Parts: sequence; structure tokens; C-alpha cells
Amino acid sequence: MFAIENLHKSFLAAGAEVRAVDGISLEVETGKLITLLGPSGCGKTTTLRCLAGLERPQTGRIVIGNRTVFDSAKRVFVAASDRGIGMVFQSYAIWPHMSVFENVAFPLRVSRAKKYSAAEIRERVSRMLDLVQLTGFAWRPATQLSGGQQQRLAFARGLVHEPAILLLDEPLSNLDAKLREQMRLELKRLQRSLGITTVYVTHDQSEALALSDEIAVFDSGRIVQRGAPQDIYRQPNSRFVADFVGSANFLPGTVRGTQGNLTRVDTAHGLMHCIFAEPIDAGMRALVIARPEDILLFDGAAVGAPTDGLNALNGKIVNRVFLGEVVDYIVDLGDRELRARLRSDEFQIGQAVTLGLPPQKCVGLPG
Amino acid sequence: MSGAQYVAAIDPARDVFRLPRWRWRRPNLLLIVCVVIGLWLVLVPLAGLLLTAFTEDTGLGFGAFTFDNFVEAYSSERMLPLIGNSLIYASGTAIVTFAIGGAIAWVVERTDAPGSTLFHNLALISFAIPGLLLAMAWIFVLSPNIGWVNAALKSAFGLRAAPFNIYSMAGMIWTLSSHYFPLAYLILGPALRALDVRMEEAGVVSGARYRQVLPKITLPLLRPAILSGLLLLFIMGLSSYEVPRVIGLPARIDVFTTAIQNATVETPPEFGVASALSLTLLGVCLVAVYFYRRATRNAEAFATITGKGYMPTRIALGRWRWPVSIGIVGVFLIALGVPLFTLAWQSFFSNLSQPFMNSPPSATLANYAYILRYPIFLDAVRTSVLVSAMAATFAVALTLVMAWIARRSASRLAWLLDALASAPIAIPSVIIGASILFTYLVIPIGVYDTIWILFIAYATLALPYGMRFASNGIAQIHRELEEAAEISGALPGQVLWRVVLPLLLPFLLAAWIYTFVLSVRELGASIFLIGPGTNVLATISLTMWEEGGSYGAVAALGILQIAPLLLIVAGLRYLETRVHRRTRGGSAMARSTG
Ligand SMILES: Nc1ncnc2c1ncn2[C@@H]1O[C@H](COP(=O)(O)OP(=O)(O)OP(=O)(O)O)[C@@H](O)[C@H]1O
Ligand SMILES: [Mg+2]
Repeated sequence: MFAIENLHKSFLAAGAEVRAVDGISLEVETGKLITLLGPSGCGKTTTLRCLAGLERPQTGRIVIGNRTVFDSAKRVFVAASDRGIGMVFQSYAIWPHMSVFENVAFPLRVSRAKKYSAAEIRERVSRMLDLVQLTGFAWRPATQLSGGQQQRLAFARGLVHEPAILLLDEPLSNLDAKLREQMRLELKRLQRSLGITTVYVTHDQSEALALSDEIAVFDSGRIVQRGAPQDIYRQPNSRFVADFVGSANFLPGTVRGTQGNLTRVDTAHGLMHCIFAEPIDAGMRALVIARPEDILLFDGAAVGAPTDGLNALNGKIVNRVFLGEVVDYIVDLGDRELRARLRSDEFQIGQAVTLGLPPQKCVGLPG
Repeated sequence: MSGAQYVAAIDPARDVFRLPRWRWRRPNLLLIVCVVIGLWLVLVPLAGLLLTAFTEDTGLGFGAFTFDNFVEAYSSERMLPLIGNSLIYASGTAIVTFAIGGAIAWVVERTDAPGSTLFHNLALISFAIPGLLLAMAWIFVLSPNIGWVNAALKSAFGLRAAPFNIYSMAGMIWTLSSHYFPLAYLILGPALRALDVRMEEAGVVSGARYRQVLPKITLPLLRPAILSGLLLLFIMGLSSYEVPRVIGLPARIDVFTTAIQNATVETPPEFGVASALSLTLLGVCLVAVYFYRRATRNAEAFATITGKGYMPTRIALGRWRWPVSIGIVGVFLIALGVPLFTLAWQSFFSNLSQPFMNSPPSATLANYAYILRYPIFLDAVRTSVLVSAMAATFAVALTLVMAWIARRSASRLAWLLDALASAPIAIPSVIIGASILFTYLVIPIGVYDTIWILFIAYATLALPYGMRFASNGIAQIHRELEEAAEISGALPGQVLWRVVLPLLLPFLLAAWIYTFVLSVRELGASIFLIGPGTNVLATISLTMWEEGGSYGAVAALGILQIAPLLLIVAGLRYLETRVHRRTRGGSAMARSTG
């Protein structure tokens, strides 16, 4: 378990102050995997490095386990080497002058909390290498590993001293797409079986959705939303989150009133029913958000299309993008375009269509 | 000579602005220790020099404040020729070495002429040759009286007078250039290599021919490198002492370095005048350094270095490939081969013997037997090797720590380390020698006339080179390699010892050998600092030469120094290429499968 309270870290870059981390608070339970997700330069790496002790924040407090490792008020700063953490760097940082075995053994050799005998070291290292499926590679020079193998080696090194938390900074970004997917599964399996609290930094939203127990979405040094992957995806609390996590269509309008759990919003394309997380008063400006895969398409020529209970919009297909399993249709509504994602490829460019948006899947935001 | 490096540890996309800062207390102590040592080595002698220059010469410590030393130095009618000679000598050498070195660099880096590895290795290895011995060797070749080339030309063409005279300004410039042209190549090569050929290609694609691209694109892009290279060579020419001593002195061509040394051996010694001259020379060097910094300051604007995956296309020389290569071999042969051959030849004969001239008397090993049994030689070998090894070890260790702190510490003092360690590059060794002499004559810590005063001088002279090697090496270690160790629980000392040091080993080895050889060759500072029991190789060679040892014995003495030095440096080069190849292979594989 660890907790971060009101962390601030700014840099001086070319004379100007850059607030890389601007008041972040976060607490994560033991055994959970949390992902820090956000666009480039939003402060994810800096947060991670503050947690690791590689960067010294200006203000805030960091507690790991039940030990305060940083507290600006009490002037506490525990060095990175004493925080008992494991970390996998984006570059892997495999020491090229050591064998695979020595790379993994290093944290045990320099350990001060507990002295390890040679036999213990051998035992633990080979157990780690088995775990990451590098059995038999122990005496290879570390430089003679493939990218995926280096990544697993870095993982073994980060875990061998049984750290309280594991920090991963875009550990998969150097791998090609196929390998990335495979390593993602493997990583999840390892993390689960070891039950280790893990912080995972990425700007790849599909990686975040697939891996995390919890996601914290970052924007300009702040956390804008935290929650389980489904919640983040289904209930984005801002246009930024909706846009960054998955893709989304936006329709602005004015609130007309609420009935049950559905709220009516008047848009330029007609009345739409949607769900608001917080009650909202009539007359307020609002934004209706719909995910492309929730949108249904009907041939516009077929009169009396089965749009009962759906929000219905009329438009014309202006483009289609074949993606393999699915097809994306770009539908022109007159003043804007919507994206609909369907399995079917029966619709053609130029065809007039009716779009059906299930109200339960339309999210309303004040705006 | 920084070949070996762990390519795998190099990240071309390193974040430049994110300099790591470490937050421990101990390095601050370490930092202060390093700053104090650096200040002591660099500033204390300079302070001594200043004091000597601006006080009366009492013979015993410093007298009252005065400008007399400057008045005396500048009122001498020798002052104007002195300045003129020094400037002509330094700029002449800079231009000649630059022309030769630049041509070689262009051929090696830009064309498909064969033999580029050979030329590179030759250039690296040639720095093992002491300048003093090379100058002596050139006298055997081009002296009007004893030079065999002159004799050969005279008899071949029936000339009355010798066509070449080594005892002239041209002779001095040529001699120093033959020594420094490989350096000019080594300075220019990287700039040519870093130049992005795509810039040239863009010129070609827009319709220019190569001979238009060269002056319009290539040379302007290289301007910072050219200017800084010329200035560096100019400073080295100003600082050179060996050639002015053995060639300029008999030719009555005085330059600053010899004038400074002369003043200290007058009776009574004119330390004040020597200091005034030293300060003048130092001033000229500092002006050159100022322009050097200006030339390199805007280098980023010319950022021509591209990341990975760029393979320069070389200019196809066609049927000129071999002639060009043979031409370069010829340059090495004439500039270094001929004098070394002559020296070696002479070492097998007691009396003067000119190769290719009338039948020589039978060869003998007597000269070697004599030198190897000569007690002063054996003492000098011991002193030279001991002091040089100590100084190299000290300087490499100190600059390693300095470079590491300079890079890793957030302290405002960190830049000072770099500045201090680099300062001696602008201080001619003669001035280092003189100022150390003046200083430790006064500071009573008992180093005067011992090997320790030589140690101080050699360590000071070695600092800039140690610093270059160490900081180049550290710059290539990705920061995350150290952070990973820190995260694993390693203390700063352990990070340095177990991660940084092993990764830097090839650099440190090269730095050690480089500074060791530099110290063994050293003459300009040693000549001030040797005592009765502390002769070094360079000073006994000079003494033997000037006090009329037999030609054969002097030549044998020279060969006995050159041969081991060449072997050491060639051995290092061999080791380096091997390490390089091994790590290259490893990371290439990691990359191809990754
Ligand atoms: N040492 C530094 N000096 C100055 N500015 C810095 C430094 N480190 C980070 N920054 C700035 O702080 C901000 C946050 O950087 P950070 O590396 O945390 O971003 P990130 O979210 O990890 O981005 P990415 O996804 O691109 O890795 C950026 O604007 C960056 O330019
Ligand atoms: Mg980052």
C-alpha cells in the first residue's frame, strides 16, 4: 500500500517554471495495479520518479507501507536506495557489463536489510529467471538478449528483492505490437500471482484498460479522474477523459429536464436522452457523449426504422474505414460528423442513414 | 582515443534537459575535496606566478610590489622578435598541420580510398613519439652539416650548398607539424564524421555539383570545427617547447617558451622576468581560448549530428582511390617514417652515419650496451616511470570523481570542477613548470628537488585529458543504468564502484595510458623541476644531446624510449578495438532481435 498527498514538483526549464506535478494525491491498496494514464508531458514519469525517490518534490508527502518516505513539512527524504521498491525503466537499463545472472543478483548483493548467502542468491535468482521464462539464459552477457527478453530481465531484477511496490514506466513501449500484447498478459499474470502493488505508467489507453485495477487519468500535472477501467470508459467525467480514453462523439445541447434516470437534452439534431452522473438543472448547457461502438446504423430509405427507445439522428455516410474486425463509418450530420463502429460492412459511402443511440449508453456532462 | 564504449548503454534520445540530481550529503563533502584539490593544483602555482611577476626579485621569497619585471622584460630589444617569432611559429604550425590533417580527415571520413583504419591507427599511435626525439631525428635528416638528405641531394645534383636548413623558422614549423598533423586529423575527423551527408545530398539534389557543394555547404557547416581546430593547434604551437629548444636555440630563433626558461637559468636567475614573460604568453593563450570558446559556442546551431541509422555515402574516387591512399601513406612515411628510420639507423653506429651514403662502417650494438649500462639512464627510467604512473593514476582517479560529480550533482559548484580540470590545457607546460618552481621554492612543504614536485606538475598537466576521457565516458552511460542500481538499494559508492566504474573501464584505461605517455614525454615543465637525484628521460636526453654525447648514443637513447612507448600505445589500441568489436557485436544482436 502507498499514499501520495498533495505532491508538487516543478522544474526550471530555460528560466521558466514547469509544473510537472501540480498537487497530486493518490492512495493505492496492497496488491492493486494502478495505471497512470495521460498524454505526453502530463507528469506521469515525474510522479513515478518522485515515488521512487529519484526526484525530490517541492511539497507533499509520500508514504510507502507504513513508512513516511517523503514529507516536505517534516523535511523527511528517504533515498531511493532505501525505499525498498522495484522499478522497470523504459530503456530497461540492463547493465551491459554484467551477465543476466549478475543483473538479477545485484539488488541482493547490495541489500542492507538482509544479507544473502551465495547459495540463497543463486536460489532466488534462478527462481526469478524461471518465473520470467529466462531459464538457461543466466550466463549470457546481458547485451545478447532480444528486446522482449531484456524486458523480462528488467522485470526479474525489479522483483528479486521482493519490493513493497513495483514501478513500471512504459515498460512495453519499446516492443513491437505483437510482443507487446503477449508481454501485457504475462505481466498481468505475474503481478496477480505475486500480489505486488504496482504503478504502471503509459500513454496507451488500451494497455491501461486491459491491465489495471484502477486508472488515474493525468492532465497537465493533475489527476482528472480515477476509477476502475470500466468506470473511466463508461462514465468519463470530462470531455478530456472521454476523448483520451477510447474515442467519443460529442453533441452539445441544453438540458430540458429529468425523468427517472434519463435526462433530456435538446441538441441541434433533436432531443436526446442520456444519463448524468450528477443531477443537473433544466436550462444548463450540456454535452452528450456517445462511443462509436454503441451507435447503431439503419438504412435511411427504409421508412419506419426500428428506432423505438433510441435517440435517432439522420445523416449521410461520407467515409468508411475498413479496420478488419470492424468498420468505422463517418456520418455527416450537417454541422458535424459522427463516428460509428460496426461489425457489418453493408453500408456504402453516400448512403443516407439513421443513427440509433441507446440512451443508457449516452453520457451527459455539464458543459 | 575513445573507441571502446558500450553501445548498448547509449541512448541517442537521451533527454538533454533532464540532468539528474542526486540528493545526498556526502558528495557535497567529496565535491569540496575535489574543488580544493583542483584549486590547489591550478590556482596556487598561478598565484605564485603572479606574485613573482609583480614583486622584486630578492632571491629569497617575494619582495616589494613592483612593475620592474615587466619593464625589464618589455624594454629588451629582443621582445619584438620574440612576439613575432612566437606568433609566426604557432600560426605556421597551425596552418600546416591543419592542411595535412584536414586532407587526411577528408580522405578517411568522406571518400572510399582504402586504408582508412590503418591511417586512423597510425595517427593514434604516433602520439607516443616524444617531440624532443623527433626534433633530434629531423636534425639528423635535414641539418645543413650532418643531415643525410642534404648530403644526398648535394651529391646527386652537384649542389654547393645544402638545399634544406632545419635551423630556420620553416624548419621549426615543419618539425612541429610532422609531430602534430595526426592530432589535427584526430580533431577534424569527428567533425567530418558528424556532418550529416543529407545536407550535402540536399545540395546535390538541388542541382549543385560536388565542387560547388564543398565550398557552399560542407565548409560553412564545418566552420566551427575548423576555427576551433585551428585555434587549438595555435595554442599548442605557442606552448611547444621541445622544437624551439633543440632547433630554435642554435638557430637563434627565440620564442616565449625558450625565453622563459632562459631567464630562469641566468646568473643570477631572473625569476621575475620569467614570470612577466609567462604572464604575457598566458595572456595570448587566453585570448586564443576566448576565440576558441566563441567558435564552439554556436556549435549547436550547426547541430549536424543525427541519430542512428545513418550511413554516410562516401565519395567514389574511382581510379584515384589508390593514388590518394598511397599519397597519405607517403605523408606518414615522410613526416614520421624518415626521421624515425634515421634515428634507428644512427643508433647502430658510434660515429655519424648517413643512410644511403657511402659504405657505412660495420653496425654495432655498442650504443645500446652503453646506454643500458649507463646509471643515469637507469635512474631516469625509474623516476620517469614511477612519477608518470603515480601522476596518471592520481589524475585519472581524481577526474573520474570530478566528472561524475560534475554531472550528477545539483550543486552550483559543479561547473567549477570542469573549469578547474580543463584550465591547464590553456597553460603551456613551461609556465606550469616555472610557476610550480616559484611556488614550492617558497611554500615549505619539502617537495622541492624531490619526485613529488614532478608528480604535482605531471598531475596538473594530465587533468584536462583525464577530464575529457572521464566526462565523455560518463556522458555515454545512460542515466537509468545508475538509477536502476540506486533503486535496487545500492549506495552512491556502490553505484560508482559496481556500475559506473566497470562501464567506464575502457575509457579509464585509455585515459591512464594517454596521461602516462604524456608524462613520460614531458620536457617543458620537467626542465624546471628536476633535481640532482630526479632526472627524467626527457631531461637526460636533452642533456646528452646538448652536452655532446656521441651521435650513436643519443640515437640509441631515443630509440630505447620510442620503441616501448609505441608498443604500449599500439597495445592499448589493439585492446580497444577488441573491446569495441565485442560490445558492438553484442548490442547489434540485441537490436536485431529486439
Ligand atoms: N528535469 C526536468 N527539467 C525540466 N523540465 C522537466 C524535467 N523533467 C520533466 N520536465 C517537464 O515536466 C513535464 C512532465 O514531464 P514527464 O516526463 O513527467 O511527462 P510524462 O507524462 O512522463 O510524458 P511522456 O508520456 O512523454 O513520457 C514536461 O513538461 C517536461 O518537459
Ligand atoms: Mg514519461
